[in-house]
Amino acid sequence: MINIEGLNKVFLLPHQRKTTLRQRFVSLFQRNTYEEFYALRDISLKVGKGEFVGIIGKNGSGKSTLLKLIASVLTPTSGEISVNGDVAPFLELGVGFQGDLSVKDNIFLYGALLGMTRKEIISKYDRIVEFSGLERFVDAKLKNLSSGMQVRLGFSITVAVESPILLVDEVLAVGDLDFQQKCYDTFRNFKKLGKTILFVSHDLDAIEKFSDRVILLKKGRIENYDIGHNVVAAYKATIDNRSFI
Amino acid sequence: MLIKQKEMSASSYTENHKQRNPLGRRNYLYLTLIMAITDFKIKYDNSALGYLWSLLKPLLMFGTLYLVFSVFVRWQVENYRLYLLLGIILWNFLAEVTLNSMVLLEGKASILKKIYFPRWIIVIASSLTSILTLFLNIIVFFIFFIFSRDAHFHLSLLLLIVYFIELYILVVGLALLLCSLFPKFRDIHHIWEVFVQLGFWATPIIYPITIVPQKYHKLIFLNPVARIIQGCREALAIGTGTEFSSFTNHFIIISFAVCLFLVGLTLFNRLSRTFAEDL
Repeated sequence: MINIEGLNKVFLLPHQRKTTLRQRFVSLFQRNTYEEFYALRDISLKVGKGEFVGIIGKNGSGKSTLLKLIASVLTPTSGEISVNGDVAPFLELGVGFQGDLSVKDNIFLYGALLGMTRKEIISKYDRIVEFSGLERFVDAKLKNLSSGMQVRLGFSITVAVESPILLVDEVLAVGDLDFQQKCYDTFRNFKKLGKTILFVSHDLDAIEKFSDRVILLKKGRIENYDIGHNVVAAYKATIDNRSFI
Repeated sequence: MLIKQKEMSASSYTENHKQRNPLGRRNYLYLTLIMAITDFKIKYDNSALGYLWSLLKPLLMFGTLYLVFSVFVRWQVENYRLYLLLGIILWNFLAEVTLNSMVLLEGKASILKKIYFPRWIIVIASSLTSILTLFLNIIVFFIFFIFSRDAHFHLSLLLLIVYFIELYILVVGLALLLCSLFPKFRDIHHIWEVFVQLGFWATPIIYPITIVPQKYHKLIFLNPVARIIQGCREALAIGTGTEFSSFTNHFIIISFAVCLFLVGLTLFNRLSRTFAEDL
């Protein structure tokens, strides 16, 4: 389903960012110096159809970058990524939401952003509204909804895309317990339906519970890629050994 | 030179990487449309007069300039009102598409960082929003047209449609070009704002081309927009002048527009790969 080989992602960190004409002019006479930052280094992995893969690692270890590369938001510096099938990015829920529009309008806008056609959205509209539990608010302006409600709406729309691959980046942290439960139920359901899920989380219990396999990233490299329990235990051990700095 | 260098280093990395489309063979027409409609809605949301502003703005500008140049300066030009109004409408269209698409690109940065869709959709959506405004403005223009004494409907008015299409290609090409440079080089927005101002006066919009000394005509008509606007003027009046409604004129405009469009599109496709990082 997802096949990654020798993937590198380098961010060029300029020592001094030059975005204006004056800065560029001044720097004409200096050498441009960049620091190469390897966000991901030599990543190779295969994820099969129907697999639920958890991704764990510290902040800045490259988890989100990996998902963004798979979602095509970023382009790799070198290496190959091949993805077989549509990707639904749960990278951040409701990024395209417009506060000044009604909930209904936002469903159409966000649905279109995720690649649905008008017909598809219309046919799924009732289900989206029902799943989000916002029946009473469809004509309200989105900005008048609480942030939790907005996340719920974003989730409901993304679920409706029904793409075979889901990329989930720590989106559940914002919702309340009820909603988190609903999300996990959905993912369990998706797993049954044979969907492929990549799941980034700091919630190690959830990772261990759901994942078939877990990737541990450390400074942009795959440190460990194994059965969920083994990796999580190893990761926990590294944390316990070192006191938090 | 320097921009080029930096871009080179960034693009050479991605050269061997084929652009994938994770959403498969999806049809992006609906996304483009809904983005355009949303932008139009938001632009005039929370304002009492709403969409009327898209009509009032060019009309107020027209009123001011008309007052100055028709009442105070007293140019004796037939149908001056129509010429002026059409010129303002067309130039506003150019200014709006090019400047708005850069603003829109910046405004959509958060989406670009999280969701993949072809980036040119933003530019096309912005151009569609402005086409809507243009369309409303043209209706107002024709209301003026009907009430003006010496303007009559005739076949050469159909030429206006040809000119509009030419202008559209030109303007989208320009917007693509500007937008592709914008994330790495933000000055381009300010520079272009100045150019739009300069261009407004360097194009025969408020003045008839006849008041410009003959020796500067060549210079003025290096600007394809000047050719389009002058061509529109001649299409409005029957039988006056053949120079700008001629085939050569169209040929020059179209080849310029298509070249600009292709250059803009190529550059945009190349540079838009790193938009998520640069914006």
